[in-house]
Amino acid sequence: MSDGANAHEPDLAVHVEDLTVSYQHKPVLWDIDLDVPPGVLAGIIGPNGAGKSTLIKTILGLIRPAAGHVYIHGRPYREQRARVGYVPQRSSVDWDFPTTALDVVTMGLYGQLGWLRRPGRRHLEQARHALDLVGMLDYGDRQISQLSGGQQQRVFLARALVQDSDVYFLDEPFAGVDATTERAIIDILRELRAGGKTVIAVHHDLQTVRSYFDWLVILNVRSIAQGRVPDVYTAQNLRAAYGGQAALLHSSDPVAGISLERE
Amino acid sequence: MPQLLAFLSDYTIQNVMIGAALLGISSGALGVFAVLRQQSLLGDTLSHATLPGVALGFMVSGSRHLGSIMFGALLSGMAAALLVLILTRRSRLKTDAALGIGLSTFFALGVVLLTRIQQSGNAAQGGLDSFLFGQAAAILRSDLWLMGALTLAALVLLGLLWKEFKLITFDPLFARSLGIPVVLLETVLTLLIALAIVIGLQMVGVVLMAAMVVAPAVAARQWSVRLERMVLLSALIGAGGGIVGALLSATGANLATGPLIVLAISAVVAFSLLLAPQRGLLRTALERRRTAAHLRGSRVLVSLQRLSAQHGDRSYRVEQGMLNAYHRQDTGAGLRELERRGLVRRAPHMPEEGTHWELSDRGHDEAERVLQGLDPGNGTANANSSGSNSASSSSGSKGVHGGG
Repeated sequence: MSDGANAHEPDLAVHVEDLTVSYQHKPVLWDIDLDVPPGVLAGIIGPNGAGKSTLIKTILGLIRPAAGHVYIHGRPYREQRARVGYVPQRSSVDWDFPTTALDVVTMGLYGQLGWLRRPGRRHLEQARHALDLVGMLDYGDRQISQLSGGQQQRVFLARALVQDSDVYFLDEPFAGVDATTERAIIDILRELRAGGKTVIAVHHDLQTVRSYFDWLVILNVRSIAQGRVPDVYTAQNLRAAYGGQAALLHSSDPVAGISLERE
Repeated sequence: MPQLLAFLSDYTIQNVMIGAALLGISSGALGVFAVLRQQSLLGDTLSHATLPGVALGFMVSGSRHLGSIMFGALLSGMAAALLVLILTRRSRLKTDAALGIGLSTFFALGVVLLTRIQQSGNAAQGGLDSFLFGQAAAILRSDLWLMGALTLAALVLLGLLWKEFKLITFDPLFARSLGIPVVLLETVLTLLIALAIVIGLQMVGVVLMAAMVVAPAVAARQWSVRLERMVLLSALIGAGGGIVGALLSATGANLATGPLIVLAISAVVAFSLLLAPQRGLLRTALERRRTAAHLRGSRVLVSLQRLSAQHGDRSYRVEQGMLNAYHRQDTGAGLRELERRGLVRRAPHMPEEGTHWELSDRGHDEAERVLQGLDPGNGTANANSSGSNSASSSSGSKGVHGGG
């Protein structure tokens, strides 16, 4: 980086320090330090209410933290907005809104377009290309309320792809989608990683953690553990995060089960 | 014909028609955003909350000058919106409760101020209470210029900020991640909706103005799948309803214009809710009935197939009364439907018995297909269920899945 002199931790894609968030005096994130190196496919896991969504919303500046700071590729988020793509939870919008899949994808370009400019032919072409990447090219003119849950999720992913960012944040991209869509999405995320991008996804299916991710953040209000999946995805860490639910892991997740027995 | 021309060239009637069209255009276009942001009640609160501003505008200017009254109305409408915003952000009050509090407080204050003015004996105050229900005939050509200028300004701003307004309405969270100033734009949008209300205040009045914001948008939603068309159609419905209401009141026995405009638009709403091709209630109900009938038919078909399998006879004949008893309902309509599709046929029977039915070859195939579709472990089951899902959601409305 040319201006590496004033950059803070420029070798990290995401660098979070001392982050604390509270809703009406109840801390939902407590003193989080987070470092994600570039070029990884990272998962954020933790039980319900662990603050997974809150963490990425705070990193993206959508929630104001009580304390702490966030750096993306060595600079504050505010300066790096153009390098960050975001896929919100699918359930966060009303899909009965009167518009088409292509139009939703084009919205990913509104930040680059700036005020008063309308998307032109070139932008629509970019949006169509993104739809093609997620296998939805034929659905561009489709009313979004007519899409299945999995198709809606792919449209959201395409909207982030069109942003052409360096760091992608995805909030539960596999929630309520069919198996085909889940495979399609993970393939795209792997391609992004192969292209040197950093991908960070909130995830809740422990069975697929090992096969999907190479970097893992285990969260439960505090950061329990983070690092390469083989080092971090241990029974001890899972028990620390999930508490009493660890017994459940033992029976349902063969991987966690094995590591439990090894102890 | 000459009478009609004379009627249409009447100065007052012209004024009222132009005014009604202008207010319909502005409230129709901007109401779309209130409805899509699920803030229909905001229109109601804004319009009632303009009343103190109407009174204060009069008190300050000392006359019924429309400009100062509109300005006062806009200010007090925005003050109410601000109050609602603060209440929902700072207290634990939910939006609907905050809107209710804002509406009633400001409206009460407005009524108090109006009675105060009426007691003051100011000669110019005559008819100020017409702002409650509107008084179209009082409109002047100079008022139209003001209304026109404000409508134009609102539409230009809407055009300039089009893509931002669309994005913050559909997905405010994503908009903020792009660095778009969502709170500022939401404030501008609320201001524009308040402006649309103020434009129509003199004609329709504070009580009914909320309908002008909500009704055209609701009707337009039934017919449009794109935001552009919805806004255009909503403005057209608003303007059309305005003109029709104005004409009705001019021809009728001196009926109030504002309520007639609202009734005209309400008629369009009722028509749209019932008959719109994709989202209309009629279409939804028909679809549900068709699905239910289809399902009943399939059940009868499967019973016939089971009976014939049990008896080892592909052309086993079943009396209709037996099927009725088995299904505990009349299967006649279902059987006739199956017959029409060529899946069952009537079989010869003894004269003293009821109608007998047997499966055709195609009926056997269809029954086989239905049974396979019911097996959850079967591949075709997924294909079938996703097919019927997309069919029922293509009606474009939620909550009809019970039929599918």
